[in-house]
This record gives sequence, structure tokens and C-alpha cells, in this order.
Amino acid sequence: MKRSFLIQFAVLILLIIYTNIGDRSVATLSNDEVGDGGGIRVELSDDERIFESSPTDLPPETGGTMVMAISAEPENLNYYTSTSAAATRFLDYIYEPLLDYDYETWHYDRPVLAESFKVSEDGKTFTFKLRENIYWHDGQQLTAADVLFSIKSILNPFVDAAPQRTSFSKVIEAHIDGSYIFSITSSETYFRNQEILGGFAIMPKHIWDPRSLMDRFTLADLLDPTITREEAAIREFAEAFNTHAQGRPVGADADPIIGSGPFRFDKWITGDYMSLVRNDTYWGADHTYIPGYSEAGGYLDKIIIKVVQDATARLIALKAGEIDFIPRMRAIQYFEQTDAPDFLDKYQKVSYVVPAYSYIGWNNDKPYFSDKRVRQAMTMLIDRKAYNKYIAYGMGIPTIGPFYIYGEQYNHNIERWPYDPTRAVELIEAAGWVDHDGDGIRDKDGVDFDFTFSISAGSTSSKYLALMLKEDLRKVGIVVNIRQLEWSVYVENLRDRQFDVVSLLWIGGLETDPYQIWHSDNIGDRGSNYIGFRHAEADSLIDNARFVMDKEQRDAMYHRLQEILHDEQPYTFMFAQRDPAAYLKEFRGAKWIPIRPGYKMYSWWRSTAAMESPL
Amino acid sequence: MSEMAPARSYTQIVATQFSRNKLAVFSVHIIYVLLFVFIFADFLANDKPIVMHLKGNTYFPVFREYGVNWFGLNWQDEFKSQQFKILEDDYEAGDWAIYPPIPYSPNEYNLQVKLQPPSMAHPFGTDELGRDVLSQMIHGARVSLLVGFVAVAIYVFIGVILGALAGFYGGFMDIVIQRLIEIMITFPRMFLIITIVAVMETQSIINIMVILGLTGWTGVARFTRAEFLKVKNEDYVVAAKALGYKDFRTIFRHVLPNTLTPVLVTATFGVAAAILIESGLSFLGFGAPPEQATWGSLLSSARDMLPTGWWLTTFPGLAIFITVTVYNLVGEGLRDALDPRLKQ
Repeated sequence: MKRSFLIQFAVLILLIIYTNIGDRSVATLSNDEVGDGGGIRVELSDDERIFESSPTDLPPETGGTMVMAISAEPENLNYYTSTSAAATRFLDYIYEPLLDYDYETWHYDRPVLAESFKVSEDGKTFTFKLRENIYWHDGQQLTAADVLFSIKSILNPFVDAAPQRTSFSKVIEAHIDGSYIFSITSSETYFRNQEILGGFAIMPKHIWDPRSLMDRFTLADLLDPTITREEAAIREFAEAFNTHAQGRPVGADADPIIGSGPFRFDKWITGDYMSLVRNDTYWGADHTYIPGYSEAGGYLDKIIIKVVQDATARLIALKAGEIDFIPRMRAIQYFEQTDAPDFLDKYQKVSYVVPAYSYIGWNNDKPYFSDKRVRQAMTMLIDRKAYNKYIAYGMGIPTIGPFYIYGEQYNHNIERWPYDPTRAVELIEAAGWVDHDGDGIRDKDGVDFDFTFSISAGSTSSKYLALMLKEDLRKVGIVVNIRQLEWSVYVENLRDRQFDVVSLLWIGGLETDPYQIWHSDNIGDRGSNYIGFRHAEADSLIDNARFVMDKEQRDAMYHRLQEILHDEQPYTFMFAQRDPAAYLKEFRGAKWIPIRPGYKMYSWWRSTAAMESPL
Repeated sequence: MSEMAPARSYTQIVATQFSRNKLAVFSVHIIYVLLFVFIFADFLANDKPIVMHLKGNTYFPVFREYGVNWFGLNWQDEFKSQQFKILEDDYEAGDWAIYPPIPYSPNEYNLQVKLQPPSMAHPFGTDELGRDVLSQMIHGARVSLLVGFVAVAIYVFIGVILGALAGFYGGFMDIVIQRLIEIMITFPRMFLIITIVAVMETQSIINIMVILGLTGWTGVARFTRAEFLKVKNEDYVVAAKALGYKDFRTIFRHVLPNTLTPVLVTATFGVAAAILIESGLSFLGFGAPPEQATWGSLLSSARDMLPTGWWLTTFPGLAIFITVTVYNLVGEGLRDALDPRLKQ
């Protein structure tokens, strides 16, 4: 052993001599801009909010099957009780709302099941006139009774739909007049009333409440706790609703989900796939909303949504021809692993924009981050440009605030905080964080600047961010500990506000209300303002803007809110999200829109011509 | 050894037997190398110079780091930020520094050199943050070996005591301990470990060592019990009892030393198994915390990089393979050397 160690020592010393004499310079990546990886970069603008990535040289064809892959399976397929986005996206092809986005103006006023609608002068009561030609997939007619039943189900306090119910908390009454008139009233004038009161999916009463248990009760009854406590039927209905077979139609022989939409439910084989088939008797089959953007039942015969958890496995399946479309890839797959000519010949890569943004949330109630100067400094210590370029492959779109970058609420006049460590250190010192005891760690009032960055176990990008921050902050005398938590634990800690720093993603919409996330009412009690942002002016802006029905005036208020948020930096706003996708080039009509999930299968079709002669 | 002394001790016989197994001897030398890396990791791969001459003073930053980490010393004011490479820019005449062979620390990232294949500057390439893979492997070796040794030490300790008690006393004690062993081995070990790790609040390598130690003792306990059953009626044990020695002394001074050899062999295999399990756990993301480089976590982060980043899987994979193999080879060599039937 002695000899062995002596030899190794000698080798070590030789190595040290060799490496210290030799040249240590390294070739660095030279390209200043990241390329597009051979794919199409979807750029939306205020005028152009639909982007078609496939060629338009051929007329659409009907037929064919599309197999796409998603990462997670929904826990159930009950529209109201399911909390997973996968369920909502799937069921959106089966169920329909009264109104939806207009794909030209992007206002929420396109009648779907409704033929027309009226808003009362105070903006509180909405009256919908339903179309008379709508039939459920089983042949029954869809009437106002179904609409009333649907809103009653959501508001039944025993139905497991608490997250959905919060949006409807101001509803006070709803009734029907004949078979086709439905009206609903909210207690307050609120700019999102139309989107909420016209936006819920309508479910068939004759399937979900065959015993008509809910007929006896009015909506007001359901909102009265004394009645709901005493009437056994309300609870009985809710229990039947929560566990209804339609909510979990698993297996090859399960009864199909009955909806009214352009696609019918086909099968759900757990752990494998969910599938949809085109509804050939769709009520709106002759109704083409925007030329080329068909909701006339869609073109594809069948859509199979496979569940493949592992990202690498999804890409392998795509290359093997087992699937046709991956809506969300990893950036590294998009830029490095699919950059070969044979892949690009066969598949089209697209990076499209979704209304979501990533951020680092600083717990404003912790001593480290209670001072806005420290938060500003933190933002300036993070080299977001380099992160975007090298880690995110340029997929992030720099953003300054919580609103959707292609929406009218976004304030384009604010300049992002630069990457400036020198100025950041000055701010930190101005805030009183100086190394008083000489141990190399900054401290203030006896507290070391030593915080924990919580990351979710599955997120590689947060992990990289945390590792970079740890290394960068070490150099300025701040200690970062990284804590990796299981997603469920992570969310629990978030709600209980048991964290110093988190890195997350908010998914929003074209137009959002900042009340939930930024108002001080929502601090504590498991509210979404878990970082504890308190600002009197921000609160009053948020409160007042809710009731301003004039869009321009309202947007001006939100622009001011973003100035406050920019100055306060309760979050470090990272990037608006771009999702990389890839699909087989045989598919046409691939259109990308600014609402979730960024694409709708209605417009997609499979070209037999392209199949025969690959490009 | 070859001149055949008339009376040779047991150890000498075993040593001779062992030295005949060339593969095992070679493996021992590889373990020496690993041990060397384990001890001198900070001198092999570090972004701090070993010696630095700056503005007339000579500093030893790597040694100072031990002082800071273990003895409550502070960094000199010049080095508060610990960015020694930046200091090179304002070198005056006569300033110099000697760096370790791999002048990168495992957590030092440089996005501009990310995912580079092996080169002179980075012999094993760089990962997705531009961290040096070899540096991470050298420091990861510490974790792997530490986990191997500490976990095995814990379970040998538990196993030997429980096995000794069961074997020496028999009867009720034996029944209880045997049932305990049976209960423990009904759980698949990996699942048991993952379940425990999943409910742990914090991730740390110490947890892993303790859990591996607490779940792995059954084999050792069974071996020790069997040896005790064999030995406890030998004349010297009966003599010890007759002399009125306390049970404690009889067990640990007289019986135990004569039963340890098979335990030694299982322990050697156990080190290999523990290293493999730790790698597996880190690969699944249950093991070491993110900032701690281990061979398993290196492999895990490389999974997404395939097929582009071959160096990210090849080198850590090889390191695990070689380490586990040499421990197994040494274990086999020991087993053969200790087996009297194979004595020539």
C-alpha cells in the first residue's frame, strides 16, 4: 500500500506540473445567436394571432388518424372534478361552452351553443338564447335545462369542484325560460363575467342526473348553507356525480362519454391511450367559423392521445413512427437531437407560444427579501440572457410582468432589469447586508444571508437555475441551499408559505385578472399570493380595475400595476414560454393560437398526397 | 514469503493464498487508487490553487479551504469571493499560482463551454452547465466510497451484534431475532429504501448511508449466528464459561474474533452493493442533493443528453462498473484465500 501511494503521489505531482505548464485555454461556443434548430418559430403579433406552420398548397381532406403523445394521464375525465390539464384538453373536444373566443378579434364573444346573448345594462345579468338544432351524441336534444343543470352541478357544494367554484363565487341566480333561454346573474359588475358565465362546459342532464334529483332546487337553494345541509338529495346527487361512470370510462367496453362536440369519445385504456373519433352528425358541421380554421367537426377520423411519461421515450416513439405529434418536447431534443436532415425531411418542428411565464418567487416575508432593493439586486444577479441562450436554447421570451406578452394588458414600455452584479452588490449593501463578522457570509441583525431555494424534483430547468444561482451568489457572500421536493410536498409548502425561494410557472390566458396572485387579500389562508406581496396602490388598482368595463381604461390601470411590480420585484420575471413541438409533415392545417394549449385539432388534416410523395 | 518458514501464522497463510490470485491483487491496487482519489480529491480537482504567490505573500488556498470548512477559519480578505482565476488578471510581476491537475471545482459552471466532448482542457468533457465531468467524478468518488464504507460499517455493526446474541444465547432471543431477519428480508430492499427516502424531509448523503446500513444487516446477522452456533460449543468457549467470564467478554473477546472472517467477505461484497444502490438511488433522483455530484446523479442527468453526450454516460458508468467489479474481485479473492479446502 505504501508503495502504491508513493507511485500515485509521484503521478499527481507530475500531473500538476504538466497541467500548470500547459495551455489551459478552452474553445468556447462562438455563435452569438441560437439558431432555430431547423424548425419554425411561431411569432404572433397584435394583428396576426393565428400562425399556420404547414404549407397551404393543398385543399383539406377528410380522414386519417393522428397519434399524439402527452406526458401525464388524467386521474379522471369528469370535467368539473378533474384538476388535470390533460383531462380539460381532452374533454374540450367533447363538451362545448355557450361562448368561446372569437378567433379574429380574440374577444370572448363568439356564440357556440348559444345563438345570441344579451348583457343587462349593469353588466350583471347574461341572457343566452340557445341554438335549436343541437343534439347530444346519443341523439337527445341539448336544451336550456342542460345548461341550468351544469351550473347547478358546479355550484353544488358537495361536488368536488372547489377550484372551479371559486370563479363562480359571485353568481346569485340562474333560471331558464322555455327550452332555449337561459339567464344567469352575478352580484357584481366584473370585466370577466362574460368569460366565466358563458365559458363553462355544458354536460347532459339526462346522463348525469337521470333521477332528476336536482330539479327541485333552484340555484339560490344551492347557495344557501342551511338548505344544502338539510336536503339529503343534494348530497346524494353530488356523491353520484363525483363517482359517475362517465367520469371514468376506462376499458374497451366502457360506455362512451356523451357530449355535444365535434369529436366523440372513443376509448380510454389506462396507462396506454385515450382516443376520440369524429362526430359525423355534429350539429355545427356546416358552420365554418374562419375559412381554413374549421370547427366543422374536424377533418381527422380519429385522434389517439398516447400517454408516454418519459421525454426520451416520446422522441424515440416519434422517430419509430409510433406517434405523429409531440406537442411538448424538451429544448435539447428540439435543438440537438432532432437536427439531422433525415428527421427534418420527415417531421416539421415548431416552437409556439403559450400564455405562461416562468418566474422566481422571493418570499417577501423572509428577512432576506423583505427589502425591495434586495429583490431588485437578486434580479440583477441572475444572468437571464445567458440562461435563456444556453439552458433554454433561446426559447424564452423576455417578460417584465405577469401578463401575456401578446395580450393588450402587457406593458411594453417597461425595460427589463439588466444583468449587473456590481450594482446588485451595491444595493444589497445599501440594504444593510454586509459581512459584519468576517466569516465570508453577509449578515444583518445577526442573521446570515443563507436561504433555501426549493425546486420541484422533476424540473431540470429549475435545478440548473438553482445550481447557477448557488454558485453565483457564493461569490458575493450569500449562501444558497438547494432543496429538492416531490411535487405534492412542494405545492403544500407553497400554500403554507413554508419556503424562501421558489421557481415556478404561471399559466394564464389572453386576459387575466391579477387579483388572485397579487392582491394582499390572498396572502395566507392558502391563497395564491404565497410570496406575500403587499402594496397599497397595487391593491387599489387591482380592486378598481375589476369593475372597469372599458378595456382601454382597464388596461391602463394594469400597465400602472406592472410598473409597480417591476419596481418592487416580488418575483424575478423570467420568460414567457415557448413550447417546442414536432409533427409528421403529412399533417396539414397545423395552426397555432394564443390560447391554451396553443393548437386545436379541428384544423389539422392528413394529406394523402404528401404521404405518397414525401417532400 | 517464498522461503517457507516452518510455522506460519493464519494471516500469513491467507496473505499467501490471496497473493496467488493475480486478478484480486490487481483489484486491490485499483482500490488503492480509489482511496488515493478519495483522500486527495481536493488536490486533484479544484478551482483554488494549491500554492499562490500574490503581491509578495504566499498562500495555500486548498489547505485554507479545509481550515474554513472544518476549523472555523475565515478566508483572507483578498479571497473573500473565492474567485482565484479572476485574480490572474491583475497579476503583478512575480505573482504565480500552482493549480491542481483539474483546475475546476465540481460546481463551477461555465455556460460557454457546455456539452463539450473530451478535450485537453476537459479530459472527460463538460456537462449541460459547462461543469467539468472529471472534476465531478473525482468528488463523486468520495461520495460513492464513503457511502460504501459507512453503510457497510453500520450494517456489519448491527448484524454482528444481533447475530452474536442470537447464536450465543439461542432460545427465545434466537427466535425473536430470526423472525426480525425474516421480516426484514421480505421487503424488497430497493423498494424499502425508496419508500423511506421519499418520506424524508431533506435529501442528504448521510440519510442514504444510514438507510442502507439499517436495511442491509440481515445477511451479516445470519452469517454471524451460524458461526456462533458452530463455535459456541468449542472447548475454548466452554473453558471461558467455566472460568466464570461474563457473557459480554466471552462473546466479544473469545467467540467473535473467530467468526469474523465470513463477515469480512460479505462486507467486501457489501461495499460494492452499497455503491451500486447509491448510484441507483441518485440515478432515480432520490439520492444525493442536486449540488452534490455523485456517479449516479451524473449518469441520471446524462440520460436526457443521449445520444449526443456520450461522454456523460460513458465515464461515470465505467467508474461505477470498475469500482463495483474490483470490490467483488477482492471479495472473491478473500473468500478463496480464507477457504481452508482450497489451501494448497
